[in-house]
Amino acid sequence: MQNPGSGSTFKPEEAYAAAAGRFFEMMKTFGMSGATTDWKSLAAPLASQFERWLQMSQASPWFKAAAGDTPGGFGPASAAGGFFGALPLGPAAVQGAQMPRALELLGRLAQLQGQLAGHWSQIAATAAQRFIARLGSAAAPPATPQQALQLYELWVNCAEEAYAATVHREDFSRLQAELANTSAALLAEQRQQAEALVRSFGLPTRNEVDALHAQLQELRRVLAGLGTAPRAPAPQPAPGATPPAKRGRKRAAGRRGAPAGRKRARGPRR
Amino acid sequence: MNDAGAAPGAALAELTLQISATLARLRSAAGVTVGCSLKERVWSCGKTTLYRYAPLAPPAGSPPVLICFALVNRPYVLDLQPDRSLVRRLLEAGLDVYLIDWGDPEESDRHLDLEDYLERHLGGCVGHVRAQCGGTPLDLLGVCQGGVLSLCYTALHPQAVGRLITLTTPVDFHTSGNLLSKWVRGIDTALLERCGNVPGELLNGLFLALMPLRLTQQKYVRLLTSQPDQRALEDFVRMEKWIFDSPPQNAAALAQFVRWFYQENRLVRDTLTIGGRRVRLADIRQPLLNLYASEDHIVPASASSALGEHVGSRDYTGCAIATGHIGMYVSRAAGGEVPGRIISWLAERS
Repeated sequence: MQNPGSGSTFKPEEAYAAAAGRFFEMMKTFGMSGATTDWKSLAAPLASQFERWLQMSQASPWFKAAAGDTPGGFGPASAAGGFFGALPLGPAAVQGAQMPRALELLGRLAQLQGQLAGHWSQIAATAAQRFIARLGSAAAPPATPQQALQLYELWVNCAEEAYAATVHREDFSRLQAELANTSAALLAEQRQQAEALVRSFGLPTRNEVDALHAQLQELRRVLAGLGTAPRAPAPQPAPGATPPAKRGRKRAAGRRGAPAGRKRARGPRR
Repeated sequence: MNDAGAAPGAALAELTLQISATLARLRSAAGVTVGCSLKERVWSCGKTTLYRYAPLAPPAGSPPVLICFALVNRPYVLDLQPDRSLVRRLLEAGLDVYLIDWGDPEESDRHLDLEDYLERHLGGCVGHVRAQCGGTPLDLLGVCQGGVLSLCYTALHPQAVGRLITLTTPVDFHTSGNLLSKWVRGIDTALLERCGNVPGELLNGLFLALMPLRLTQQKYVRLLTSQPDQRALEDFVRMEKWIFDSPPQNAAALAQFVRWFYQENRLVRDTLTIGGRRVRLADIRQPLLNLYASEDHIVPASASSALGEHVGSRDYTGCAIATGHIGMYVSRAAGGEVPGRIISWLAERS
């Protein structure tokens, strides 16, 4: 599943159309078209459908990113695709670099993906078995949309229960964290290469800009702490707003000044 | 379950028609707007903006209420539409309401940390509001992650806050049902910080992955058979817009939040230090109202209710509302109960 978008570009009608389409297909599988349904025989196709959906919705950003589909790293494809699958990574992130470290990380990522796929498979099989068991052999195919929804609600309950039973486990949590950390490490590699490239053109690197930014921030803090010195430009009354009373300003200045001696100077963060 | 004599395929045909009809109505609702109450921008600091709402009733004579929302979502959910607006209910009760909007941080803001947010941004807002009311302590209403910031701020600046209200606020991050906490416990926060600001979509993906079928599929399918009227559909679209409208997160502040709260659970372990100063829940002695959702999948009720065991306040009220996390802000039931409890709790202490 690909989410239709996010933020200001999110289109609920597209998300609805995709979900309704899947619901429609599921109802066809359940015999809503009039065909006789042998529920037990549906366990395998149902599990297969759910597993595919899990792979697409929860893991697709990994593959998309690996294919370079998430320009700049974080893409809208991640919106419903799971936090851990949304980090920028993959060959696109290390294009042309052929660094051993990056390749090592990519290999590790593929291993982790395989482990994740194993979890999706287990969840899907458990969900389908649970659904068939709860349905009972006497159930008839849905004849109205309302009946179809009842069946669907039962399916969702079974699927979410199976999902929760796995994703709460410690091994699953560790795997997800490792996926996130590995993808973050890949992004860090990508940044490192970009820094080298920028430096070779004689342009300021991100680390250098970071260092300047940190110095500027520190200077602002020191100036604010001096009291009579020019104010830091950051906190300003909004245009047209009533200026705060003097007492409030003194308090604010005191607060701003207080951390100056305590706060450590920040160097570039890598 | 089958109707005897139903024509084969007739049900599928009916379903197809319903899908198309609902889709057309959803498209017609796509232009809905969010936010409903008149407000004025009164102060700003970096990307942070402080708003003051226009009054809707004669003043109740209470100190101003400053709402501190989470960094990870937009605060307009508290004033989504007239019949689903916590802000509006407070205004109708004669309260003077201010709201902090943290804005959209850019890459140049990625070094802003929690101390910056607490002291310069939240502290600046508090300073401005207090300056308008002669320096008296204000009432602070912290929501979700904003509740954590509010607790920290109150502990550090007890003289500035008269009464504290927390809504769906996590305090003990290691209770057993907290899936979010389990998932991020192994994240390398130093590495996360090095990668720069985190897009809002990524965090939203995390929240949706907690219950993926319910949160990304079932709600749409339910539209098919519930046949909501146009107004209900517009309500639905407003919520969807809000859910998928998440601001990016500053790298430093997010990394600190994950490490200090989700991983190290410093609030309840009494080991939190911000800007060189100990943040102790025991130092919060103000009257405190703690409202949380009993069916919250993001902040489990147990994570919020723990607050009562750790604060120093002798006037602590904890209350579970029968709804989910987002339902606390926008459900019709909570729309009456949550503001009602806040208003009466404040009135009882005036």
